Amino acid sequence: MEVSKFMDLLLESAGKNGIGPAEIYYEDNDSFSAKAQRGVIDSYEVSSTCSLSMRGSVDGKMGFASTEAFDEDSAEYMIRAVRESALLNEAEEQDEIFAGDEHYPEVEAEEDDLDSVSAEEKLQLALKAEAAAKDADPRIAQTEGASVSTQVSHSMIRNTYGLNLSSTRKLFVAYALPIAKDGESTATGFKMKYGRKLRELDPEELGREAAADTVAQLHAEPVTSGEYRIIFRHDAMQSLLQTFSGIFSAENAQQKMSLLAGREGEEIASPLVSITDDPLRRGGLATSAFDGEGSATFRKAVVEKGVLKTLLHNRKTARKQGVKTTGNARRAGGMHVAPSNFYIEPGTQTLAELMQEMGDGLLITDVSGLHAGANPISGDFSLLSKGFVVRGGKQAEPVERITVAGNFYQLLKSVRAVGSDLDFPGSSIGCPSVDVGVMPVSGK
Amino acid sequence: MKGEIFLLQTQVAEEVLARATATGADFGEIYLEDQTAQNIVLKSGKIETVNSGRTHGAGIRVFVGNQAVYVYTNDTSREGLLACAEKAAAAVNQGKGCTVAPFAVTHAEKPEEIRLLPTDVPAARKAEKLREADAAARKYSDEIAQVQVRYMDRVQDVLICNTEGTFVTDRRVYTRMAVNAVATDGKENQSGSMSPGGLMGFEAFDGRIDAAYCGREAARQAVTMLHAPVCPAGVFPVVIDNGFGGVIFHEACGHSLEATSVAYGISEFSGRLGEMIAAPCVTAIDDGTIVNEWGSTHVDDEGMPTGRLVLIDHGRLVNYMIDRLGSRRMNMPPTGSGRRESYAWAPTSRMRNTYIAAGEDDEQAMIAEMKEGLYAKYMGGGSVNPATGEFNFAVNEGYWVKDGKIVHPVRGASLIGRGSDVIMKIDRVGRNCTQAQGMCGSMSGSIPVNVGQPMIRVSSLTVGGR
Repeated sequence: MEVSKFMDLLLESAGKNGIGPAEIYYEDNDSFSAKAQRGVIDSYEVSSTCSLSMRGSVDGKMGFASTEAFDEDSAEYMIRAVRESALLNEAEEQDEIFAGDEHYPEVEAEEDDLDSVSAEEKLQLALKAEAAAKDADPRIAQTEGASVSTQVSHSMIRNTYGLNLSSTRKLFVAYALPIAKDGESTATGFKMKYGRKLRELDPEELGREAAADTVAQLHAEPVTSGEYRIIFRHDAMQSLLQTFSGIFSAENAQQKMSLLAGREGEEIASPLVSITDDPLRRGGLATSAFDGEGSATFRKAVVEKGVLKTLLHNRKTARKQGVKTTGNARRAGGMHVAPSNFYIEPGTQTLAELMQEMGDGLLITDVSGLHAGANPISGDFSLLSKGFVVRGGKQAEPVERITVAGNFYQLLKSVRAVGSDLDFPGSSIGCPSVDVGVMPVSGK
Repeated sequence: MKGEIFLLQTQVAEEVLARATATGADFGEIYLEDQTAQNIVLKSGKIETVNSGRTHGAGIRVFVGNQAVYVYTNDTSREGLLACAEKAAAAVNQGKGCTVAPFAVTHAEKPEEIRLLPTDVPAARKAEKLREADAAARKYSDEIAQVQVRYMDRVQDVLICNTEGTFVTDRRVYTRMAVNAVATDGKENQSGSMSPGGLMGFEAFDGRIDAAYCGREAARQAVTMLHAPVCPAGVFPVVIDNGFGGVIFHEACGHSLEATSVAYGISEFSGRLGEMIAAPCVTAIDDGTIVNEWGSTHVDDEGMPTGRLVLIDHGRLVNYMIDRLGSRRMNMPPTGSGRRESYAWAPTSRMRNTYIAAGEDDEQAMIAEMKEGLYAKYMGGGSVNPATGEFNFAVNEGYWVKDGKIVHPVRGASLIGRGSDVIMKIDRVGRNCTQAQGMCGSMSGSIPVNVGQPMIRVSSLTVGGR
């Protein structure tokens, strides 16, 4: 049946089955993606999907269920599942269904051209990006592809209090993955661009930049194990902040999964570090006037000059701690907490100046294996890394097959300088390059 | 969800495939899925969420030579599927075309018997298992600050049909539990985890999954690591225990033997069939046929029957894992290795239960003869770049070995290296091969796989620590 009819049916039968209040979250997504490899369109994908989740209260306890099928069987299944879920729920603090805020911030709609760019134009962009990567340098032997994808999605919250909020997201993502070979040495690279105006994408530039990054990694060798001064370039730093962003969640803190529990007002980082969560940031990937439970969102300092100002909250974690929600509710199965556009505030020095100031050390440009080599609970990490030796303040030969080890909580305190090059690499989490002081490196 | 059902009428399937291949595609396929899953989370000793979900949709794929087009939707009505087929056809403007062969309608053969279908078991009964694991973990030590237990089951019904006459239905039933325990001394946290599962129903808790044991083991790891000094960094011999230790082969070698990276010559093992790529003591197998194992399959997600595939025979590379598209690109037959997370992913070549076969070496002697190095008892996850072969993974529970004796636990260790090097440097293979469960993420999404091995020794490996 039609989705709007399905929603009406669900909310109506919720009431009849002792579920109240109840809420529906609906999302649909139209996407297109094409990948050029070896000079032809190697894969081409189009999708049109939607999903619906429901939560509802039975005797003050919250239940959850979701579906991608919108028929009568599914409606029955949803009601039964929400009831079963609610009846088993033992959490002392229950999520609440929210009637809505009086005012929501204005989020300026970003202009886009995604609807007007034809499939054929997108294919051409991908082909051009791949060709540019190959033409940029004779050592680019082949690529793992160059891809252009677009996504248009709508989300909607409707509940039995009459709340009815919706938002639209549009985005293109383009990337190139060159492989460089020179003698026995192989290097891979990755460059991504994203935005809302596909006609402003310069595919040749994307290919060239990807190629240059890749070729620079050829003949990389490990350095000798030992202690090194380290700068994490903005993209590597972003990977770290993303992995450890959960330590700023009040939900994790309340469950003893973060060591920042109860430390608001304390100095938890170097005075050079300020971290902001800004759901209203123009063009941000997580920009939205409301969060996962319908609360109005706002910009806030999470860390200000090293001092923890607030953890991130939804309505439940805020109530438990006697504070107001920070508008960071995130639906994922149940109701959780997640950052929106979340970033380390940039400093004033360029990356070149950071290296100049450091003198000798390592510039880390890529960390991998974060799901394995980083422990978000202890803060410990030991990560396979790539980058460059920095000698006399200048970027020198490439480095690979090393691990950089540390602890994220300690890293925040050991920051010696923050760069000006804040970037959000296809993510709602962003970082500038950061000089983190001395860390142990394992190499040869 | 009643028994195994045909999710689609053959006449509709034929019409959709004909439409999808009308503009020149030489192969067409429909993958239709209806899945019911339940997840239960217990935290701080209380059931926190119970979440049930139904996944439903279809993906239509066509090939023109070596190129593929994939279109997917939730709308599985005749009209919805025809609309999808139109989109697939619109992406093709050349090719020799094909006809839809008469369907050979079958149910996939299943060696296992599902005794307790998860959808027939009340959530309250599942919740009891979570409480059992939680209680055992907390009882282990006062230093256990937090325990999180997850229960996951799913019943996935699929139908796969194609223009070559395949029309097969399959039901895959999965049950798993994951315990994560956190130990703290007030200043630092360390965690431990256990997550067994199987291609089976709730009967998994009769023997395969011992909830209390999982709780105790997770707690023991967390407490052990809390009191462990950090692992020294450098290049050392490393002994890796059986079971989840097999993740080393999965990362260091397995991904690089998938058609995805082999077909275009990207993998370091491309074009090396018949060559010695590993030490002679290494035989490695990818086996989809082991009854009830987490990574087993009946038919793959392209409708091909599953099988047992020897990848490396006493050091010699003898097979790659190949899906249908990889088969076209490599001009070699497919191996039943096409897998995907759901209809929202085009399938590609993936592992099933992948392990190093048992050898003949004595486990105690392996450690006694290694002088100084690392004994990795439990491995964490890892990742690999197939183009360069560089891999890395975490050691969740490690011990330092000095003068051939285990002296103390070490924390924070990771292992890095290059796949082609490490499998050459395996110098001992023990006798007791065991399997462990994991989720493997790659181009076609996150899928259940087993890793496995007996205890092995690598003569030298870069250990990341501090």
